[in-house]
Amino acid sequence: LTWNTNMPKHIFRLLCLLLGVVVVALAAPRILTVDSFHRFGHYRADSVTQIAAREPAYQTASYCLTCHVKRVAQWSANSHKSVTCEVCHGAAEGHPDNGKLPSAKDTVKLCTLCHEAMPGRPHTQPQIVLAQHNPYAASGQQCAACHNPHAPKIAAGLIKVTGNAALGKQRAESCADCHGADGNSPNNTWPSLAGQNAAYLARILAAYKSGDQQDVAMTPLAKELEDADIQNLAAFYAGSGCKAKPQAKPVGDAELGKTVAKNCAGCHGETGVTGNPAWPSLAAQRPGYTVNALKAFRSGLRKDPMMAGVSRGLSDADISNLAAYYAVQACPPVTQGRKTP
Amino acid sequence: MSDKATLSLQARRAFLGRLGLAATCTGAAMGAGVLGAVQSATGKSATPAGPAQDGPSAGSGKTSASGSGSFPTPDYDWTKHQWAFGVDATKCIGCLRCVEACKRENHVPANAHQFRTWVERYAYLEGEDKVRIDSQQDPVNIAASGSEREYRFANRYKDAKVEKAFFVPKLCNQCTHPACVQVCPVGATYRTKDGVVLIDQEYCIGCRYCVQACPYGARYFDEEKGVADKCSWCYHRITKNLEPACVEVCPVGARVFGDTRDKQSPISLFIRNNRVQVLRPESGNAPNVFYVGIDKEVN
Repeated sequence: LTWNTNMPKHIFRLLCLLLGVVVVALAAPRILTVDSFHRFGHYRADSVTQIAAREPAYQTASYCLTCHVKRVAQWSANSHKSVTCEVCHGAAEGHPDNGKLPSAKDTVKLCTLCHEAMPGRPHTQPQIVLAQHNPYAASGQQCAACHNPHAPKIAAGLIKVTGNAALGKQRAESCADCHGADGNSPNNTWPSLAGQNAAYLARILAAYKSGDQQDVAMTPLAKELEDADIQNLAAFYAGSGCKAKPQAKPVGDAELGKTVAKNCAGCHGETGVTGNPAWPSLAAQRPGYTVNALKAFRSGLRKDPMMAGVSRGLSDADISNLAAYYAVQACPPVTQGRKTP
Repeated sequence: MSDKATLSLQARRAFLGRLGLAATCTGAAMGAGVLGAVQSATGKSATPAGPAQDGPSAGSGKTSASGSGSFPTPDYDWTKHQWAFGVDATKCIGCLRCVEACKRENHVPANAHQFRTWVERYAYLEGEDKVRIDSQQDPVNIAASGSEREYRFANRYKDAKVEKAFFVPKLCNQCTHPACVQVCPVGATYRTKDGVVLIDQEYCIGCRYCVQACPYGARYFDEEKGVADKCSWCYHRITKNLEPACVEVCPVGARVFGDTRDKQSPISLFIRNNRVQVLRPESGNAPNVFYVGIDKEVN
């Protein structure tokens, strides 16, 4: 190598070194950063793709709808429709492959998350003071015992009864053979209707008429009823005086039934006189009927989401004890045209 | 003696000379390489827009990996959206379903200290000058829930004389001029074209400058992964036409999300039909979470 300029050698070497440093400084970021780094800016474009590719955990209600058609239909038609499935049941990722999604055991804990009365909650939010609304919460009385979480409003299905009791009395003549002229059943297996809640009577009659509820005897009879008949009959029986029938030989033990009945008290009242017109009073009901009804709920012949849940755990002995307990309770007080909120 | 010394000096000079020559050659080679790389890089950045405009027939070669030019996924083009978030504090009931859903959806550590989104409670008691503020991570509230994995607000003011109280959901504001992005030394956090600030966890070096820089405290440091993390408006969901998990589970509609480019989207209607405000506008970050029904103490 020959060098013809006057530049001293050590300066030349320094320049070479400098050139090397510059070249390395220029080349290193190119070699060390990935291709996608400057594609859109001072970041790695591939990371956007990576983040966007992650799978969602929450699948939305439309995912649940693919299988749970009936549940979704009920839920979406009622007041909890803004509370999507996964709020209570958890994220559906991996379901059904990895098994069932949980249903909350402790509904008091779950429901109070939103419904406990608390300063700061907007007034439009339905709120309860637990000690007043459900005094048995501490001893395990669950919200779901009375409220169906998918259709939580108890009054939602409440039918307003404005029928004429006098017309109802005429129409009731054809019912008298089984249910008694005044609604007090002459035998053990057919229900007494006297003094029953009008809204409940109207709901059940309408269910027989529509076919939602089936009974060999009742279905053909109810099909012939007009809507006005149902109103009049409900008004008549609700206003009729209830008479307890002294039992010849009780099948169950009323004392044992009293302990079981504590679980029913939230809806049906401690002595079987309910405080809510949507539900039936059970006091002084014929025990044979009570047994049949409970067994029908337990086996699923009679359909009710609430009763299906609570009757599932009852043994045959529990059922006859319950029936015996309610049969000997005092009749619900008769008030002409019971309160219908 | 002096001859020997001169000889060794000459040998050293010869060696250094050869070294210099080698360095120059390497440098030149690398320089040529760099030039090529720069050219290919500029060529690449020019192509993505090309095929999309030229029509599908032109889409050939390397760029076909990104479908018909849509990025970041074949079904989602980030140049066609501009996301924004709304919070209606007058509707929030403080149930904290959003917080739990966010933890599950985004694999946020299951403890009571790290959150991508959270809810604050503001309570003004009679005879007190200062507002009382707590969130779900307050020890009283953790005691009420009984677990650091579940969240609920304790009913701590039920017997107090409360003049005014409300809940405020908080989350990353996905600022238009994000301070966190500015301070990142390695380009591990950035703002996407559709308006979300994301974190590249592979590039994050865990220096926590961004955690410090955020004026809203929206970022936390994930000790286990050694990276910063924060709300991404569930970017993996919104790019699949889903709402963020917190919006999905909110039972009262206190959280609103949508595309501001769509004038009938929930967020466009929310901004148009309400008098909205943002948190700390004076910080100059231009946040994109719009609030309704908050007080001056909220920031």
